[in-house]
Amino acid sequence: MALLTVIGRGVRVRGRVTGDADLTIEGHVEGEVDVTGEVTVETGGLLGASVSARVIVVRGAVRGDLTAGEAVRLEDGARVVGDLRAPRISIAKGALVRGLVQTGGIETTLPRAKTAAKSTPAVAPRRAPTPAPVARPAAVAPPRPAAPAAPPRPAPMPVPRPVAARPVPVAVSHAAPKGPPPPVVPALKKGAKAALKKKAT
Amino acid sequence: MAIAQTRTSSATSRHAGSSTHGGQAVIGAGTRIRGRVTGDGDVTVHGNVEGEVNLRGELFIAEGGRVVSDVNAESLRIAGALQGDVTATGDVAILAGAKVSGNVRGASVTLDDGAEMDGRLDADFVLPRELLGGIGAHDEDGPTAHR
Amino acid sequence: MASTVIGAGITIEGEISADEEIVVQGTVRGKLDAREGVIVEAGGTVEADITSGPLTVAGNVTGNISSSDRVDLQSGARVIGNVKATRITIADGAQFKGNVDMDV
Repeated sequence: MALLTVIGRGVRVRGRVTGDADLTIEGHVEGEVDVTGEVTVETGGLLGASVSARVIVVRGAVRGDLTAGEAVRLEDGARVVGDLRAPRISIAKGALVRGLVQTGGIETTLPRAKTAAKSTPAVAPRRAPTPAPVARPAAVAPPRPAAPAAPPRPAPMPVPRPVAARPVPVAVSHAAPKGPPPPVVPALKKGAKAALKKKAT
Repeated sequence: MAIAQTRTSSATSRHAGSSTHGGQAVIGAGTRIRGRVTGDGDVTVHGNVEGEVNLRGELFIAEGGRVVSDVNAESLRIAGALQGDVTATGDVAILAGAKVSGNVRGASVTLDDGAEMDGRLDADFVLPRELLGGIGAHDEDGPTAHR
Repeated sequence: MASTVIGAGITIEGEISADEEIVVQGTVRGKLDAREGVIVEAGGTVEADITSGPLTVAGNVTGNISSSDRVDLQSGARVIGNVKATRITIADGAQFKGNVDMDV
């Protein structure tokens, strides 16, 4: 059962947030979020980070890519600059987005796979003592046992879905049909590296 | 509303549409259009449209309908398939069951759970200042202070 | 009544600054700055320097502690680091290694 972490309104986190849990953000988080549960950015919450989770619900402001194994929901008041990738995506009236929106076939891109790939060697050993992260790989079934070692993005973005059966379009200018969508955001965001350095106490 | 319209799915008609004032058009399931659809009214597509759509009204792509074209309209409701870029002055509603491939711009764009989408959304807004120029993931726009 | 709870399954690596109380049940690495106070519950781990108001520890802390108020290490706590506080209690069963500076 996923446990809940609440980052309150007066809190600012700069760094990486990972774990086998749910996360509610009412404050300000910058860096990276990679959890196995549900991430909710509440109204007034600020997220300057890419997120990987099972479900992502946004009512606040986000600057970063949102990748979910199950669903991304933007509700009234959401303001998102970044790409959305999930099998199910919904954008309610009053939610505003600037970025790519891709539904379907994200099954293979699971949070932990990304974390594993993201984890630079510096971070990996430190994870050993903490119970939570270690539990994670076992917690969620599928894909890659090899992922922890593999630097490249474990799960490439899915090929476009049924819509891909395109006859020669007359005036279609978007790039998507040219091939597999661009890979998911790279391992560490610029700020995350700085955050990791700062952490060394 | 003037559209080049044919009854059979194999025949194609090339000539461009010309504007009319007001009115409605319904393109039935057995109809296929290749050409331009323009006008001052609403268009409902149950069949196939390939080419160009420019409307001063609403485009409704019904379930089973298919439009392969860039679309300029006041508003759109999509329950079928759309391949092309959309520019709307008003609302774009992508309903469950829709399959949209293309970039969408509108005063508001809603995506229902169950809709399939592959493309960009570009709404006009500015993020709260705390998120601008920060360590966020995307730098595609907004006045970034650093970088 | 903290509004911020870092639950048992979560790890935060980086800097946290807060103007409200923080309860740590999970893991925090880096820097923790919470003027309203910090509670590290049993099972919670903080590997960071802590700057806070009142601090209560029942879990693990590795790092220097600078409190503007009191520091209470409860039974089961394990603290390695220097502590600066106005008052301090180290309960029977708490483990502590470091210096204590009460600004005497």
